[in-house]
Amino acid sequence: MAEIESCFVFNASTKQSIFLCFQASNESLKMELLADVPLLPGEERVIGKYKDIIYICPFNGPVKGRVFITNYRLFFRSVDVDPAVTLNVPLGVISRVEKMGGASSRGENSYGLDITCKDMRNLRFALKQEGHSRRDIFDILFRYAFPLSHGLQLFAFLSQEKYQENGWTVYNPVQEFRRQGLPNDQWRITFLNNNYELCDTYPTILVVPYSASDEDLRKVATFRSRGRIPVLSWIHPENQAVITRCSQPLVGMSGKRNRDDERYLDIIRATNKMTSKLTIFDARPNVNAVANKATGGGYEGEDAYQNAELVFLDIHNIHVMRESLKKLKDIVYPNVEESHWLSSLESTHWLEHIKLVLSGAIQVADKISTGSSVVVHCSDGWDRTAQLTSLAMLMLDSYYRTFRGFQVLLEKEWISFGHKFASRIGHGDKNHADADRSPIFLQFIDCVWQMTKQFPTAFEFNERLLVAVLDHLYSCRFGTFLYNCESARDANEVKMKTVSLWSFINSDRASYINPFYTVEFVHVLYPVASMRHLELWVSYYIRWNPRIRQQVRKGQICSSSTHLLGSTSQDHICILQLCQRGCTSVKMRSYCKMGFNGVEMLLYF
Amino acid sequence: RHNGSQTAPLVPVSSVCVSFAGEIVVSEVNFVRKCMGTVTTRDDLWGKLICTNFKVSFVTHDPSRQVRKFQYCNRLLGDHDVPLACVEQLVTVNDTTGKQKVLLSNRKLKFSPTELIIYCKDFRILRFRFDESGPESAKKVCLAIAHYCQPADPLLLFGFEYVGKRYDGSSGDQISTADLSARLRTPLFDCSSDWDREIKRTGASEWRVCSLNEGYAVSPSLPEHFVVPVSLADQDLRQFSCSFAGQRIPLWCWNHPNGSALVRMASIRDVAHQRKLEQRVCSAVTRSHPKRSDVLQSNLDRSLPRIQDVQTSLVKLRQICVFGGSEESEDKWFSSMESSGWLENVRAFLQHSIEVVHMLEGRGMSVILQEEEDRDLSCVVSSLVQLMLDPHFRSIEGFQSLVQKEWVMAGHRFLDRCNHLKKSSKEESPLFLLFVDCVWQLMNQFPSAFEFTEIYLAVLCDSMWIPVFSTFLFNCPRQRAEHSRDFAQSRYLFLGEEKTLRFPPVWDWSQQFSHRDQALFNSPFYVGKRAAPCVQNGAVKTFKRTKKSYSSTLRGMPSMQNGMLGRHGSLPRRNSLILRFRPESPARREAPESTLDHFTRDWLSRPADPHGLLLPQLLPSHLKLWRLYFLRWVPEARIPHGGMVMALHKLSLLADEIETLQMKLRQYSGGPTPGCSSDRVTLSPEQRRMYFRGSPLPITPQQPEYLSSAFPFSPVGNLSRPEVLGTPLRKFLSGARLWLSSETLVNQTP
Repeated sequence: MAEIESCFVFNASTKQSIFLCFQASNESLKMELLADVPLLPGEERVIGKYKDIIYICPFNGPVKGRVFITNYRLFFRSVDVDPAVTLNVPLGVISRVEKMGGASSRGENSYGLDITCKDMRNLRFALKQEGHSRRDIFDILFRYAFPLSHGLQLFAFLSQEKYQENGWTVYNPVQEFRRQGLPNDQWRITFLNNNYELCDTYPTILVVPYSASDEDLRKVATFRSRGRIPVLSWIHPENQAVITRCSQPLVGMSGKRNRDDERYLDIIRATNKMTSKLTIFDARPNVNAVANKATGGGYEGEDAYQNAELVFLDIHNIHVMRESLKKLKDIVYPNVEESHWLSSLESTHWLEHIKLVLSGAIQVADKISTGSSVVVHCSDGWDRTAQLTSLAMLMLDSYYRTFRGFQVLLEKEWISFGHKFASRIGHGDKNHADADRSPIFLQFIDCVWQMTKQFPTAFEFNERLLVAVLDHLYSCRFGTFLYNCESARDANEVKMKTVSLWSFINSDRASYINPFYTVEFVHVLYPVASMRHLELWVSYYIRWNPRIRQQVRKGQICSSSTHLLGSTSQDHICILQLCQRGCTSVKMRSYCKMGFNGVEMLLYF
Repeated sequence: RHNGSQTAPLVPVSSVCVSFAGEIVVSEVNFVRKCMGTVTTRDDLWGKLICTNFKVSFVTHDPSRQVRKFQYCNRLLGDHDVPLACVEQLVTVNDTTGKQKVLLSNRKLKFSPTELIIYCKDFRILRFRFDESGPESAKKVCLAIAHYCQPADPLLLFGFEYVGKRYDGSSGDQISTADLSARLRTPLFDCSSDWDREIKRTGASEWRVCSLNEGYAVSPSLPEHFVVPVSLADQDLRQFSCSFAGQRIPLWCWNHPNGSALVRMASIRDVAHQRKLEQRVCSAVTRSHPKRSDVLQSNLDRSLPRIQDVQTSLVKLRQICVFGGSEESEDKWFSSMESSGWLENVRAFLQHSIEVVHMLEGRGMSVILQEEEDRDLSCVVSSLVQLMLDPHFRSIEGFQSLVQKEWVMAGHRFLDRCNHLKKSSKEESPLFLLFVDCVWQLMNQFPSAFEFTEIYLAVLCDSMWIPVFSTFLFNCPRQRAEHSRDFAQSRYLFLGEEKTLRFPPVWDWSQQFSHRDQALFNSPFYVGKRAAPCVQNGAVKTFKRTKKSYSSTLRGMPSMQNGMLGRHGSLPRRNSLILRFRPESPARREAPESTLDHFTRDWLSRPADPHGLLLPQLLPSHLKLWRLYFLRWVPEARIPHGGMVMALHKLSLLADEIETLQMKLRQYSGGPTPGCSSDRVTLSPEQRRMYFRGSPLPITPQQPEYLSSAFPFSPVGNLSRPEVLGTPLRKFLSGARLWLSSETLVNQTP
């Protein structure tokens, strides 16, 4: 997030902006453009000062300036405009680069480049028509924005960034399962998938029923799409109800059955005495599940799985979600649709999809907290399934609502269980129209945001963390979201050769902490999945619009927190001393520690 | 359930009807079932349904199963009570014959009702069944309610009995006006000194208090004292007055530190002199401007929705909020919201106010708000403008004085707009609610700028339906005086020196709430000056100081500040209202470098100062439904352990602890510790501002179980919609027809 600045007008007075990773003084600017932009370690310029380019800002009209491109970013700064208009765009967010206009096209600024980004914006640049001036910049941009299509490496592999903490250690599956109290007398940890032989899109470490043998697992794998067998995601510490996840059964047109699979699900049911019927949540709409039979998939039939009940959650597929987001972009960028905002918003169906995902997760969480085990799957078990299990876990387990726990949740349910980040995001790939691309993860983060809105004290992290995660989902600066699954990550030595996003995030923890966070006694959070409470996440989707107040700067935060104290800083110090003298509660001390980065919540309303 | 540190007020459960001075029981029926849903369930309450001359009251026999409407207690109303003025519509039903009827005053009821459904103006729906009660007394109660909630005469409004009783000396709680005003720090603007102070506070040296209207001699709808330009003599004003609608001489509202004034004016009836008179007024306003700056006339009738439109949109909104949760309508939630037009109305008023703000602050011009009668739209716009510009009005006292000044004294027809007499629905319009919603939008965007909470705003709106407060009972000060006189004469009461009955203003919150409960009004988010006295060693910050700090934001707006602004003209800005200002004043100049767009952008480029100018974000994506107010009675819209109150709770505890610590600090440093003997370092409950209070013990207070997004209101005990689905009752509740028009239903009755 730090680098992604569009159209951000900054002047001397906003220097403290926490969003600017560089702070420029106007004097040095005039002397040497861009000399003061600190490049990341490992970042190199691939094109020098490209003069006389015009950025066609959708809000302010054309701005003349200069551009340079590195292997990580595109940087633009206006000339002759004070304060300067800058753009600082990681090449990873670019999904499409196109030439606009031809050598003969008429009209001002009709010749240039049109760049579509993955983060809800478009950038247009106009160049001089004479001398094919755009050829170079287009080629370079095309090459470095889509390195994988050109035999180049993603920037994450070139970065030389160093952080104190190693983010790759955030998630340790065995440790996480131990936290959940596993293994126990009903569930065991298996290393059967150590070489990705059982399932190449699953992690190496899996938790399965104690009474299912390795041989059983292999047999079940033959009947589950891509070998993604039901394995444990989460176990309730008291009632022992479990969330298990998998892919669809390979029932096919003929309605095939598989005794091993049936028996295996019954074993899962039997691990918990309270569960008389195992609930299978099929995330898809009923019709889609039926249609999948034609391609060899399907769902668990009533006859075959007698001790199970099947519930369809009506969540649509990746293509529907992609189209929905596209429609959303149309109404928020560059201008917010003003005349019929609410009905336009409704017609994108974006919030309706959010609602279905959330209410699906609520149903899962509800089953679990009433002591009944569940199986969750969709078709392949890496999109909707990941959304449902991770959201349900977020509702059930307050650990995942902490700063660390949330990172673990993402590492576990999304990254290790093979959400196809590479295909869904298309890192470094030029094929922008790839039907595999879809904003499934964005949708999940949106759901998390909806929950943080409904429960402002329940999450240790703030909105800024969610935005940072999304920004680096695209940026390719960190290895965290690269590749489709753990086996591919291993093969490409991601942990060895790239930096983890969590190294970066955890080195600046204070920026991402929610000052309202209240450590909770255990209870399940049930958000209300009703249109009445769902909102468009405007500070993400509409953040490029300059008519929206930019996020608060640090200087302001300081002043609000002193104001909150209703005291001068001298008073503040006295209070701190009082706390140290032990005159007051532990809570107060934690407040003082929170101190100045604290009261930033003022802006979140 | 919650630990001892949570001082949640446990309301003593009384099983008798709370009644007080002047309240008499008209009719009652026993063995009534108050339904919690549409089907009868075990949760239903049994009790007595009572109709008094003030309220519909339900007193349950089963004190262990009390369901509380409020987390805190209203002194005038029990948990199951509805003031008669809050009743929107009554429907009686007979199950066996399938008959149903909308009850109106003085109409007959031909069948014995088996149930009564009460639709309330505050969006509640209550349902009572009479299966076990005597059919005749049930019928009597229903008819009594219908009769009493439609008083034939304003003097029959309960407030007169309530206040009149104090003159009998029987109630024993005689309070003199002096006592009241001592308790109440809010200026009521019913005397010239309040106006004087306001002139001084805003530095409006070229304006004076005019008492021409004493005894309402000139205009029937103006207050006795108001403010006019010094250049206009009383004689001139008297002469002008005949030409204005309602003889309303233009009123001064407020002065900007830069000298620009906000003035409101009714239309000029006398067409022949219109031009001339307008010029006279404008030049007088100009003369009162230190820079002799131009005056802009802003015609509200032309740029804003009509009051009937506002009413229509609220009726639609109520439909959606109360019935909008069903599966089929859930998907249409947003488009239904849009079609209600409520938020669009909110936006229009805020947008227009921003434009006025721009003129006053950005252009340094005085603005005259012009409206046909100057009693409706002007009230909304002038108060919003002042809220945006002047931080004083964002404190509780300031806000109350603002409502007093721009609504009560300016003669907003509360009696008609609230339709207390249920006479003409054509006159009914929720303008005040619309204003409060606009305030909420501002508060939602700038939580640290307001001293009060949204709970305060919701309770304020609810108080409109408790007809005892001077604030909401009359169309204008003169009407209050007249009705007082009439009532006093009819009862042989001696009013003494005072001209009016001593109706308490709603600002006397102790009429309704304990001191403890009033703490709910204080926002912990407020970045206020309230702690200033102790910070500054007793030196209280003056208003002047504040003004300075915010007018500096003014000066900081040279066009060079923001380079992207030069091209504002080419910006596509859909539906812009900028040009809605009619250049009525020929002297208007168009300075391109200070257009509204420029102005807002420049403001946006700087951090917002909670004590400075506030410009709300008006993109439709940034206006929200005021959920606490509109959805609080809908059980399925309630988020247990969720909602803004959770953050409020957390911050309140911190703020409370800081207050306690500051007290200790002062003690250690030997300073004065007000209200506190030297060996005790605790703040007395009276001094603690926060409702949620930290514990003296070093334990982390848990979040109380009762917190929810509807706090302090509780939807429990009112009709819950999902149970409505698929029941025979559904046809009653399915909406539009019922609530929109009582005629339709009446016609269905055989």
